Amino acid sequence: MSTIALAAPAALPSVPARTSGYLVLAPSCLLLIIFFALPMGTMIGMSFTNAETLAPTLFHYQRFFSDGLSLSGLYRTAVMSLLVAFCVTVLGYPIAYYLAGSRSRWRALVFALALAPELAGVVLRTYGWLIILEDRGFINDALINLGIIASPLPLSKNLFAVVVGLTHVVLPFGILSLTTSIQGIDPNLERAAQMLGASRLSVVRHIILPLSIPGIVSSLLISFTMAASAYATPALLGGAGFKVLATMIYEQVLFYIDWRFAAVMAIALLSMMLTVSFLGIRYETRRSLRRSNREGGAA
Amino acid sequence: MNAKPYLSVGLMLALGGAVPASAFAETLIVNSYGGPYEAIIEERIIKPFEEKYGVDVVYDAVGSASQDYAKIKATKGQPGFDVAVMTASQSLQGCKDRLLEKLDAGAVPNLQKLEPTLAAVAGPCGAVHEVQYMALLYRTDKLAVAPTSWSSLFDPQLDGKIILPTFQNVMAVFLLEIMSVVRGGDMIDNIEPGFAAMAELARQSIGFEQSSAILESYIKDGTVWAMPFWNGRAQLLVDQGVPVDYVRPEEGTIPLIATLNVPIGAQNKQAAMAFIEFFLEKSSQEAWVTGYQVGSARTDIDIPVDIRKRQITTKADLDGLKLPDLSRIADKLGEWGERWERDVVSQAN
Repeated sequence: MSTIALAAPAALPSVPARTSGYLVLAPSCLLLIIFFALPMGTMIGMSFTNAETLAPTLFHYQRFFSDGLSLSGLYRTAVMSLLVAFCVTVLGYPIAYYLAGSRSRWRALVFALALAPELAGVVLRTYGWLIILEDRGFINDALINLGIIASPLPLSKNLFAVVVGLTHVVLPFGILSLTTSIQGIDPNLERAAQMLGASRLSVVRHIILPLSIPGIVSSLLISFTMAASAYATPALLGGAGFKVLATMIYEQVLFYIDWRFAAVMAIALLSMMLTVSFLGIRYETRRSLRRSNREGGAA
Repeated sequence: MNAKPYLSVGLMLALGGAVPASAFAETLIVNSYGGPYEAIIEERIIKPFEEKYGVDVVYDAVGSASQDYAKIKATKGQPGFDVAVMTASQSLQGCKDRLLEKLDAGAVPNLQKLEPTLAAVAGPCGAVHEVQYMALLYRTDKLAVAPTSWSSLFDPQLDGKIILPTFQNVMAVFLLEIMSVVRGGDMIDNIEPGFAAMAELARQSIGFEQSSAILESYIKDGTVWAMPFWNGRAQLLVDQGVPVDYVRPEEGTIPLIATLNVPIGAQNKQAAMAFIEFFLEKSSQEAWVTGYQVGSARTDIDIPVDIRKRQITTKADLDGLKLPDLSRIADKLGEWGERWERDVVSQAN
């Protein structure tokens, strides 16, 4: 047995194995270079050139930081994305917890309902919210007809409407991410705690929640980046009064035909998403390391 | 541009359309708009063209004029369609960017029949096939007296009863310009009065919408009683029986000039030129004006009196228009857009 066990790895020399590994990676890398790196490079190059003379310039960046509108757009994008990430994770967590642990016959139904929003297109779902939230929408109509309010509540064309719409759009992704994480927690830990007298709430608070932090971080990051790059929902529910960077980029490309300034805005948006992702991943990596060190020390 | 093939096509077209079907590609891709536009252009222009020249027209209804131009720009003039229906703004930009073919009377003899002042606004890369104007649309069941002036929008009875286009709808730019004229400014260099007027109007409005379809929904359901609107779509509302009517205010108005364009890398340029020539023919223009209820840059067309009195079809109508300098507007657009966001949008309720 041992001879066979030792002989098997020798049959696969290390250099060819590495080569075959590269070969497997090659198609993905090629795809990324052609459809991500090259367009990104073009966009970055474009942002530093003059439209007429093609001479190098920082003009578009100076404009971004000085026009007063672009930085406001970046700020609105960040606030909106943070709120969406928070809402998705808070609303998605109980559903994910149920889906991860339940053996009920309703589980399949809840799972289907949680993912159901993805069956309809994002524009369709957003129009649905518009019908509900706008001044002439379902909620305002009902409240006015009941005599509760005299004039429509400002439920659309603002941050509130966009956060509601985007939370609905992104929620399934948050739920999936959280469910996977909670499913990875050893169920014996939960049972042991309950056998030792911990209440269900206490188990969730002291065991499930801390152990599902990777899922929470992942849900926050996915929700944040999806919300920050969303176009249709902010455009329809935010309107002229609540413009985020994605809608401003669209306007620069199509209406103002200023692709260089649009490139600067896109770079700012990408930088914000990369920074938040980096911070989230670094936090989770350090936390895992500290936990491993603690467990190593205890052992 | 190699003019020879177009000159030969132009010559054949000028000889009374005696063009053999084999002279052109069998398929021509025309990019334009969907909705009512598509149904009318299919019936009034495309089918007769196909029958006359034996060319199959593939109608691509995807994208607005600005989206079409973005596609032309992104593909360096090879967007996959041969003719694009856009506006004079894109025609000028496309010429400047060298992404659209220059059209001349050699290839499209009917260009000579267009009113020169309107043709000049669109520049050498656009064939003006339709003219609308910014009208003042109002509810006939809400306003006892029909408005006659752009200043009517400031009437206190319209407080909370008007809606404005977003700046990304060119109608907002034209409204800004006309308001500037109404308040003693001009259309480019002294635009200050226009911004002051628009800020005032924003306070009077219920907000801003970009799409014409959404804008019209507000007046259809009676939420809004008056607003600026393109007269072609306004006429469609009148024809649908909505209690609305529209006027060309006494201070004058600015036209929306629609153009036919050929991208520089179009596959079937000869057929594209033939299509443009056909669209600009007198009979086609008459069919289009009566079908889509718009105006024409040809002043020699024969149309019913009731349509003529509401559309731009005569020299006198054209003289009453305030023609925009679209090149200068394009230069100012970024600056005006920023100012609009700061000074106008912030004033809305």
